[in-house]
Amino acid sequence: MLKDRLISRDFLLFGMLGLLAILLFILDIFFGSLLIPFKTILQVLTGTGDVNPEIKSIVLDFRLPKAITAVMAGMALSISGLQMQTIFRNPLAGPFVLGISAGASLGVAILVLGFSSVFTLGLFTISGSWALVIVAWLGSALVLFLILAVSIRIKDILTILILGMLFGSASGALVNILQYFSNESMLKSFVIWTMGSLGSVTKSQLNVLIPSVVIGLFLSFFSVKSLDVMLLGEQYAKSMGLRVRNARFLVFTSTSILAGSITAFCGPIGFIGIAVPHIGRLLFKTARHKILIPSSLLLGSIVMLLSDIVSQMPGYESTLPINSVTALVGIPVIIWIILKNRKFSSV
Amino acid sequence: MSNQQVNITVRNLSVGYKKGKNFVAIKEGINVNAHSGELIALIGSNGIGKSTLLRTLTGFQKPLGGEILFNDRKLGSFSIKELARVLSFVSTEAIRVQNLRVWELLAMGRYPYTNLMGTLTDEDNRIIQRAIQQVGLAGYEDRMIDQISDGERQRAMIARTLVQDTPLIILDEPTAFLDIRNKYEIIHLLHNFVKTENKTVLFSTHDLNISTSEVDKIWLMLDDKMVEGAPEDLILAGNFDQMFRSDKVYFNGESGDFMLRKNTIGTYTLKGPEGKIFNWTCRALQRIGLVYTETDPLVVINIPSEEKNMVWKAEINSTEKLVCSSLYELTAELGKRLSGL
Repeated sequence: MLKDRLISRDFLLFGMLGLLAILLFILDIFFGSLLIPFKTILQVLTGTGDVNPEIKSIVLDFRLPKAITAVMAGMALSISGLQMQTIFRNPLAGPFVLGISAGASLGVAILVLGFSSVFTLGLFTISGSWALVIVAWLGSALVLFLILAVSIRIKDILTILILGMLFGSASGALVNILQYFSNESMLKSFVIWTMGSLGSVTKSQLNVLIPSVVIGLFLSFFSVKSLDVMLLGEQYAKSMGLRVRNARFLVFTSTSILAGSITAFCGPIGFIGIAVPHIGRLLFKTARHKILIPSSLLLGSIVMLLSDIVSQMPGYESTLPINSVTALVGIPVIIWIILKNRKFSSV
Repeated sequence: MSNQQVNITVRNLSVGYKKGKNFVAIKEGINVNAHSGELIALIGSNGIGKSTLLRTLTGFQKPLGGEILFNDRKLGSFSIKELARVLSFVSTEAIRVQNLRVWELLAMGRYPYTNLMGTLTDEDNRIIQRAIQQVGLAGYEDRMIDQISDGERQRAMIARTLVQDTPLIILDEPTAFLDIRNKYEIIHLLHNFVKTENKTVLFSTHDLNISTSEVDKIWLMLDDKMVEGAPEDLILAGNFDQMFRSDKVYFNGESGDFMLRKNTIGTYTLKGPEGKIFNWTCRALQRIGLVYTETDPLVVINIPSEEKNMVWKAEINSTEKLVCSSLYELTAELGKRLSGL
C-alpha cells in the first residue's frame, strides 16, 4: 500500500542523512588551521598506530570536543525549535527569535555578575558548569512562560514574534545594566563567557553539556504523541484526551534545558532552531513528530557540522564567528517560509 | 463503546463565562435530552450562547449550575481521558497545519487508544481506512490537508471523530464556510452515520432549511428559554417566530424559512391553472411587496396556461393594462406603476 512505500522512502532518507552526518563529523575533525593527514586522524580516533602526542592532543582535546559540541548544539537547537513551532503553532518560532536564548544569557549574567565571588574562578570547573547551565535553564524557562502567558491572549504569529524579540531586548538591556554595576573581575569572566563558541567548550564542560542535552532529548521523546495532537490546537488536543497543561510543561522543560544548555556553553546561536525543522518537513513531507524529531536530530547535526566547517574557512588561518554562518544558512529558509505563508499570517 | 446505548440529559443547566471573579450567565434553565441514533441541530441567533453551550457540553468549560448527565453519570466526573472515549469534537476553526496528510490527521483520532509512541496497530489502520471510506475520501489518504477543498477538509475532520470512535459527536457550525452542495452533503453524511452507527450527533448551525429536512430533533435557543422537539413540532408551536424580535424578518410557517418583511404596495389575484408557474409568479409578486387576496384586488393577472406561451397579462385598477413576456418585466413594470400611485 501507499503508506508502506512512504515508510521505506523514510528509511532510505534516514540512512542517507545518517551517513552524511558521520562523514561531516569526520570532516569537521579533519579541517582546521593545522593540516593533519586523514590517516593520522583515523589512527587517533581508533586508538591504533603511533601518533605524535601533540597531534593527538589537537585531535582529542580540541577538534573532537568541538565536533561533539557542534552535534550537540545542532540537535538541541533543532529540537527546541521544532517543539516551539508546534506548541505555538507558528512556523517562525525558535529559541533565538522568541528570546529564549536571551533569557538564558540573562540567567548567566545574573549568576556571573551578581554572585561573582563564588564563580569568577569556578566558572570553568564542573560545579561551576552545572551552576551555569542551571541558571541558563531557569532564564530560558522564564522567557518561555512569559511568551506562553501572552500567546493565550494574542493569536497573531507576527505579534508573538515581535514580543519574543522585545523580551530578548529587555533581557539584553538587563544584562547591560548588570555589566555597568559589576566590578572588573566579574566583567572579565562574563566577557569571556559571551565570547563562547563551539570551540571554547572544554572537555570537562562536555561532561555537563552531553548529559544535559541527553536529558532534554529524552524528555522530547516522551512528547512525540502529544506534540502531534497539539498541532491542531489546545481544544482539539484536549478533546482527544491530552492533558494540555502537563504536556506543555514537559515540552517547555525540555526546550529550556536544550536551548539553555547550548546558550550557556556556546553563546546564542541563531536560526538553526527555526530553519532545521523546516528542512525536515520539506524532505519527509510529514507533520508527524515520530519522523520530525529524528530528522531534526540528524539534520541539525549536519547543518551545524557544515556551518562549523565553513566557519573554519579551510585553507585560512582565522575562523568566522559561527553565528554569522548559521545566520547565512537560516535566513534564506526563514524568508522562504514567510513567502510561503503569506496567506496564513495568523494561526 | 460506540455501539453502546447513550442517553444525555441536561438538567437545569446554566452556561456562561467568568469575568474577573464573577460568573456571567448567558443562558439559564436549559433542559434538553439526546439519545443514540439522533441527529440534533442546535439553532439560535448569533451571540445567544450556542458555542458556550457546546463548549460546556464538551467539558471545555464548567457549567455555572445544573448538571449534564451522560448515562446517569455526571459529565464533570469524567477524566479528560475518559471523556475522549465518550465524545469527540469539531470546532469552527479551520485547521491549517502544513505537511499534514489526511491519514495522519485521522490517525490523531486514535490518540486515546494508542501507546506512548502512538504506534498504530492493524486494528487502528482498519478503523482509519473505514472512516476514510465512510466520508467519501477514498484516494485522498496521502493528500495534504492544506491542499484540499474546504468541504474535503471538513469531511476529514468528521472522519477523525469517527476514528476516535465515540458514541457522541459534537460539531460547532460544521456547515459554515461551505458552498450549498457541501452543506447538504455534510449534513447528509452526519445523518447517515447517526443511523448506521447508532451515534448521537449534535451540531450548531444557521442553515435552517437544510437541517429541518434532515435532523431528528432541534434544540432551539431563544432569548428567554430553550425548547426542543422535532423540527415540525417547533414550527407548529410557532417557536421559530420568536427567534428574532425583528420587524424586518419573520418566519414563514408554510415554507419553513425566514423571510424579509416588505412594505406592502398593493394586493393581487391570479387567474390561471395552479402549478409551477402559479407558485413562482406568487413568489415574484410577494418579493416586490404585493399581497395575495381573493376580494377586490388592485392587480389582476392572467398567468400563462402553458410553458410554451409565456405571457402574463395584468390589469391594474381594472383600467391600465400590461402584457409582459417574463416575470422580470412584469415585476419591473408593476413596481414602477404601483410606487407611482
